[in-house]
Amino acid sequence: MDESSYWNRPTSHLLGSVPAVVNEESEASYGRRGGGGRGYQTLGPPTEGFDQQSQNNWKGVFSISSYTQYFDVDTDVVVNRLISSFYPAGGDFFNKIGANPDLYGLIWITTTLVFMLAAFGNCATYLIQKRTDRTTSWSFDVGYVNAAACGIYGYSLVVPVAFYFLLRYLGSNASLVRFLCMWGYSLSIFIPTAFLLLIPVEILRWIIILIAGTASSCFVTLNLTSYIGGSNDLRMMMIAAFLLQMALAIFIKAWFFP
Amino acid sequence: MSNSHNDTIPLHPSNSQSDIDEIRSLIDDSVHSGPAVVLPARHPATTPPPSSSPFISSNIPPPPPVSSSSSLQKLQSVPAAPPPPPPVGNSSSIVANGFGPPPNTLTEPVLDTVKRDLWRIVSNLKLVVFPNPFREDPGKALRDWDLWGPFFFIVFLGVALSWSASVKKSQVFAVAFALLAAGAVILTLNVLLLGGHIIFFQSLSLLGYCLFPLDVGALICMLKDNVVAKVIIVCLALAWSSWAAYPFMSSAVNPNRKALALYPVLLMYLSVGFLIIAID
Repeated sequence: MDESSYWNRPTSHLLGSVPAVVNEESEASYGRRGGGGRGYQTLGPPTEGFDQQSQNNWKGVFSISSYTQYFDVDTDVVVNRLISSFYPAGGDFFNKIGANPDLYGLIWITTTLVFMLAAFGNCATYLIQKRTDRTTSWSFDVGYVNAAACGIYGYSLVVPVAFYFLLRYLGSNASLVRFLCMWGYSLSIFIPTAFLLLIPVEILRWIIILIAGTASSCFVTLNLTSYIGGSNDLRMMMIAAFLLQMALAIFIKAWFFP
Repeated sequence: MSNSHNDTIPLHPSNSQSDIDEIRSLIDDSVHSGPAVVLPARHPATTPPPSSSPFISSNIPPPPPVSSSSSLQKLQSVPAAPPPPPPVGNSSSIVANGFGPPPNTLTEPVLDTVKRDLWRIVSNLKLVVFPNPFREDPGKALRDWDLWGPFFFIVFLGVALSWSASVKKSQVFAVAFALLAAGAVILTLNVLLLGGHIIFFQSLSLLGYCLFPLDVGALICMLKDNVVAKVIIVCLALAWSSWAAYPFMSSAVNPNRKALALYPVLLMYLSVGFLIIAID
């Protein structure tokens, strides 16, 4: 056994691969563990990896390097997109995404929203109960975490996919990643809303959630219209998108901030 | 040779005696030790000390050379099956020796294994969580990563939270465990997807070790029940955890994306901190 080849074995093409699912590189995983001693240094340009990926399509599904193209954003780009999602007026979100849609926003906005809803939902429920009945004590309902996770993750995954398939069926062009990205950023307005809904005045809460819901729905509808092209037979889709977003807003208010 | 005695059936259909000799000679070539080891295994007493051979246990007294072949067949047929390359990082002495002789870990007493693992957890903890000169160089620290430490910390945090909960205890444990375990995996994937350079299990190990301050915070909060005190303690524990995780995460990605990589870490620790305060 030639020892020197053990450590000099090229591992740069393994950059970004999750070790457990890489099949024929199992013996090279020993080399990678030795490379663990080098820690966080770069292992060289992953040029070999891309050749391998293009040869075998199935392997691309499980390798991380095929998904890095959707996370190719810097901090300032993400912040820019986030701020533009607060203003429902301009319908130019898809232009802003351009050729670089990112899934980072979708994943972390939804996760932040789940946490906020669970945390602030509990606080708000306690505050409202305290107003009506002075003797209630704090109790943390873990079911809120489950409900928030199912609701938000489900909505943000199912609705864009459904719209993608429907619009494809109806013939217009649609891009799944861009839809996921847009719907993900549209949820970002609910994060400060969740914070504002802590105020234990019922009328004020309804006003806040209606404003936020309307803003988010307008964002979704205007961008969808400008992307698809506003033809008449697709009008049902736009109305459906608006109503779904409003339904989400009402659900948030009714379930987490009763 | 090995089939001449009918009392044992070697696990390899091939000749296990020659396999062992070949492997031992390879091992000893790398250590450049003396020629004494290349002898056939009938003379275990002459093999060099200590624990250089995984095939003959040092605890078992060396059998008399004449009738040794049958008992040695029995001893060797079992350990011959697992292929040799020694698990890297099994103890710090191996890492120091490089490809040295594998220690006798298969047949050592359980207490030795437990002590060695505990010692590794403590040393990793000292490297990651407490101030030490190696923190600036992420490659040096946590070279010897393991997953036992993170496992203990996650389970302890789940149990502590579940203990302090008054209702739905099992659901609390499930949420805490899922949050921490899935969170560590997702955070690592996040860094990898952003184009960062980290080793998957090393990062899991690191995120698990950085939970130690939150464990301490959870333990103290279990004992004291005052809300304001809990908030202060959890804030301190959170700051400590974030300080521990910061150099590793931030050095792993492009500086333009540092905030993108660090924000999810903060989110996870914040949510765990909130659970600690909120569970009553």
